[in-house]
Amino acid sequence: MRRASRHFSPFSSRGRRTLLAIVLTFAISSTLSVAVSIWATSRSKHQAAVIQVAARQRTLAERYVQEVLLLQSGKRADPAKTAAILRESALALLDGGPVPSVDGDDDETTIVGQTDPRVRAELRQQLNLVTDLTEAGAAYLRGQTLPNSELTADERVEVKDPVQRLRILAALTSNVSLNAARSIAARADRQIVDLVRLQIALGVGGLLMSLAFAFAIMTATRRQTAHFRSLVTASTDLVLVFGQDGCRYASRSVSRALEQEEPELLGNGFAQFVHPDDRAALADACLNGRPTELLFRIQDPFGAWRQLEAHVTDLRDDKHVAGVVLNARDVSERVRLEEELTRQAFHDGLTGLPNRALFRDRLDQALARSQRSGEPLAVLLLDLDGFKQVNDSLGHDAGDQLLAEVARRLAAVVRPSDTVARLGGDEFAVLLEESDDSASVSLGGRLLERLEDTITVGGHELAVGGSMGIALHAGGAGAGEELLRDADVAMYAAKEAGNGGYELFQPDMARQFGELLGLKQELRLGLDRNEFLLHYQPEIALGTATIVGVEALLRWNSPTRGLTPPLRFIPLAEASGLIVKLGEFVLREACAQTARWRADRLLPEPFVTWVNVSGKQIATGQLHTVVQRALVDAGLPAEYLGLEITETALIEEGPSRERARFQLEALHELGVRIAIDDFGTGFSSLGQLRDFPLDMIKVDRSFVHGVERSDKEAAITANLVSLAHALGVVAIAEGIESEEQLASMRALGCDLAQGFLFAHPLTASELEVVLENPSAAFALTVPQGSPT
Amino acid sequence: MRNAARCTALLFLLGVVVGCGASGAKSAHAPTVRVTVQDFRIKAPKRVPAGDVVFLVQNKGPDAHEFIVVRSDQRLPLRKDDVTADEDAFEKLTVGVLEPGAPGSVRKLRVRLERGHYELLCNMSGHYLGGMRTEIEVT
Repeated sequence: MRRASRHFSPFSSRGRRTLLAIVLTFAISSTLSVAVSIWATSRSKHQAAVIQVAARQRTLAERYVQEVLLLQSGKRADPAKTAAILRESALALLDGGPVPSVDGDDDETTIVGQTDPRVRAELRQQLNLVTDLTEAGAAYLRGQTLPNSELTADERVEVKDPVQRLRILAALTSNVSLNAARSIAARADRQIVDLVRLQIALGVGGLLMSLAFAFAIMTATRRQTAHFRSLVTASTDLVLVFGQDGCRYASRSVSRALEQEEPELLGNGFAQFVHPDDRAALADACLNGRPTELLFRIQDPFGAWRQLEAHVTDLRDDKHVAGVVLNARDVSERVRLEEELTRQAFHDGLTGLPNRALFRDRLDQALARSQRSGEPLAVLLLDLDGFKQVNDSLGHDAGDQLLAEVARRLAAVVRPSDTVARLGGDEFAVLLEESDDSASVSLGGRLLERLEDTITVGGHELAVGGSMGIALHAGGAGAGEELLRDADVAMYAAKEAGNGGYELFQPDMARQFGELLGLKQELRLGLDRNEFLLHYQPEIALGTATIVGVEALLRWNSPTRGLTPPLRFIPLAEASGLIVKLGEFVLREACAQTARWRADRLLPEPFVTWVNVSGKQIATGQLHTVVQRALVDAGLPAEYLGLEITETALIEEGPSRERARFQLEALHELGVRIAIDDFGTGFSSLGQLRDFPLDMIKVDRSFVHGVERSDKEAAITANLVSLAHALGVVAIAEGIESEEQLASMRALGCDLAQGFLFAHPLTASELEVVLENPSAAFALTVPQGSPT
Repeated sequence: MRNAARCTALLFLLGVVVGCGASGAKSAHAPTVRVTVQDFRIKAPKRVPAGDVVFLVQNKGPDAHEFIVVRSDQRLPLRKDDVTADEDAFEKLTVGVLEPGAPGSVRKLRVRLERGHYELLCNMSGHYLGGMRTEIEVT
């Protein structure tokens, strides 16, 4: 609000100029009016003196005649003095100057001369007549008579009697004086009237300007008031003003928020709605104007506590406010969101348990406490067995339900002070504080027991077990990271030992499993980080010397280990179950790449991209759906995809074998090709193989290489090829490295071949070059006159 | 109605114009006699024709002056002050009076003069005896 007021300007720049003009005009007209008033007042006072003097001449003229006559008759009189006064007065009236006083009359005064030509003419005439009168008087006193011709005022007095003559001259002087006085008065009147008019004009002008000014001010004030009122009332901000006597003003938004009329909120009214714990802080802020930021809660009409964030502004020194102003905003939603985000950041959404980050935090805190207290603590790491199968066979919802139930069971067993967390996937961790070896181990055992009780998920009774690693911390300093890793090592050991058990961490375990654990972790990360890629090794039709397919081979471009051969990581992937994810990646990538080649019209007909499938992938029971999804997503027809399955994956007896057969048949019906990999190594019988839909048999490289070693071995190899042909499927020789091997396999009737002799596994782009010109790449390797 | 009102207005206007013309024609018959008054003289022609006469009185100042026309062939009687003429005494012989006029003013006085001797004067205090009188002969 205060910020807003600084930026708010009630006047536009034009408005400001107008206002300035009005104010200036007002000031000028007022000043002029006052000046004119002062001038007119002094002037009229002055003119009054002039008129008085002019009128006095009339009396003086008559008095002069009487004094002359008195003197003539021997009485005491001083006409000469009167004559002097007459003359000086006449001169002063004309040109200004001191006017002598008459005895017993007024005081001597000084007047300014007249400027109007007509008035001056009259005054000059007066002066002439005064001259004539006084000279006639003086002559009379001397006993003389003045002739007509010597008169200065152009009068002709033809009367002989000197007294009458004097009287006539006095009458003329008197008359002219009177007229002059009248003229002066009339002129003064006119001037006064003009001045009054000017003053009226100035007054009216000033008044109009004042009105305009007042109107402008009122408009501006009204605008400003309206502006602030609408800001305050329309704002969702709660505006409150507090004085010594409590709340003095509450904006409409406060009334709305609390559903209370303003009078109810004044005084101590508002405080009733404030959370009791916050009242003291609020009262303090309202009294002192500090702190400038304040968080407090009010209870809304529904009884819910709303979080308010208030800016406190101390305006006690501002005489218009004289209080502390609170601008409060409802931040409940924000606070709730912040809490929710914090919760989300530190909790697992599925189970509601703390996540790895929070677990690490708690572990670090517990270790810090342990360092102070010396109390032991333990970290239990639990990995569910068979979770993957549940997820794959019953769906992710079932898997989620299972995890939630496991979380509930774990939380039910531990003490409230212990922390159960889900670290990810099917991995859980338990932090036991102030728990020694035996207590930790017994709790671990109880957890596993509790876990083994059957869990019903989606109508299925599931028996889930877990492998647990326990790492103990005797007390004192320690690192959470190490403790977790120790528990991981112990858990790995438990897994190795067999399902459903726990292992206590022993230092020698680290050496045994440490490297593997690191590799497993890296494999997980590698999948997330797209560190895996496929190479493709061409498969050549021996009859036509053309490419009829490729085998997709997984490569791991590890940032720490470099390009890692499959042998280094596939066994671990198989053991840890990561192979399922890796296998899915290979399927999807191979399908997508083949679809691209196909779209680019690089592929000969027929062409099959072969992908190795692990027994674990088949065991999930989801292989056919995964493959189908990969094909659909890539937009690749099924006949372009082949699956290579190891012989060992198929020879298990029992329901898993049936499941495998069912999935493979479903895929085969779609058009997906099926091949037996490493044929000859798994001791599978012909009968066993006959149950499966097969398109190709891959003769293991050991047999291919054995052909050269002895006739006996060559006979075995020949049998394998014959067996394939007996099953009605194509035989392909793996690992052809020499012309001799090629010739032998050709002689044995092998249909296809792959190996370094033709090509090493190639990157996708390298293969593209080969596909663009297949005959150039392989023509030389096809012997002349070979059978087709 | 409107037409009638318009006709009346027109007739009235016509009447005014005709009337003015008639009075103009009438004053054209009355000869103008130029008179100047000033301190302290009255200047006028010695002879004026009998009948309607218009005196055109110009005051040359510097004072205000009256203008009185009196039919008389002898000296006018004075008031007791011995300074001004006794207007009441010759009221019946007075044919026209202009009250004091400001310097610079020009005024008209319409009178009917019969054959005989007339005196023109200003009777403001002292003016008459100070020289502001003149005689004319109406023939």
